[in-house]
Amino acid sequence: MNPGPQIQFYLFGNELFPITDTLIVGWVSVIIILLGAKYLTSQLSIRPNGKQNIAEFMIELIYQQIEPMLPGEGWRFLPFIATIFIYIGVGNLIGVVPGVTSPTGDLNTTLGLALVVFIVVQYEGMREYGVWGYIKGFAEPVIFLLPINVIGELAKPISHSFRLFGNIVGGGIIITLIYQAAPALIPVPLHAWFGVFVGAIQALIFGMVAIAYISVAKS
Amino acid sequence: MIEFTPEVANTVITTASYVAAGAAMMAGMGPGIGMGFAAGKATSAVRRQPEARGPIITTMLLGQVISASTGIYSLVIAIFLIYGI
Repeated sequence: MNPGPQIQFYLFGNELFPITDTLIVGWVSVIIILLGAKYLTSQLSIRPNGKQNIAEFMIELIYQQIEPMLPGEGWRFLPFIATIFIYIGVGNLIGVVPGVTSPTGDLNTTLGLALVVFIVVQYEGMREYGVWGYIKGFAEPVIFLLPINVIGELAKPISHSFRLFGNIVGGGIIITLIYQAAPALIPVPLHAWFGVFVGAIQALIFGMVAIAYISVAKS
Repeated sequence: MIEFTPEVANTVITTASYVAAGAAMMAGMGPGIGMGFAAGKATSAVRRQPEARGPIITTMLLGQVISASTGIYSLVIAIFLIYGI
């Protein structure tokens, strides 16, 4: 039983481009998000109707998470953070469908997202203090702490990506084991717990930690 | 000095890495205790100031996430031990 992504076929028949099941489900969730966004924003008006209320509610919910930690820059970071929230949320919740692997249960997905967050954090720190000022910030308060600070900075994307990956894969392994022991009825509450609850919490946490890293780099 | 055949040596290494992976996941105890402690403190804080529920839960989640990092590192090491050999 290998819990990792399974290779389905090769793009162009070339061994350099393996297409895994998590990648396919990732594309499907992107299409779901695109169609959902198209549908929710198809009839925008000054006086919101049902669909527009849902979209505005989601956007304001995410905005209210960003604004207290990055005062005055909520709208600037909203597209980035909302993308993380919505993509990881859909990617986690799509794993509830039996036989579908979550795209976030693949280290390639989570490490890619964590590296994007890492680059944004470095860029924001340099934008705030200047390139030299930001690099000099690692050698504070004393120069001897420089290696520890650098290692601590490099450990951020690792713990950030493995947190999501470990939670989703761990839940998947437990559900697979239960399926082998008791295939009927018993896995249903476990799907509710590991799929819906842990998935939603982990999507929230991934976005919150991204906001916190940006906020730490700017302060 | 006893000479082992490569098969025996590989079996011993695989067995040892599985046992070590199990032992590494004992590090899950620490984050569990710490996160439960943070949740308990947050509960009493909400009980004292129910109007500050939102910020308290956000702060609690962030602190729990940082303290869960040690457990994540042990998970990384366990995964390397199982699949990296």
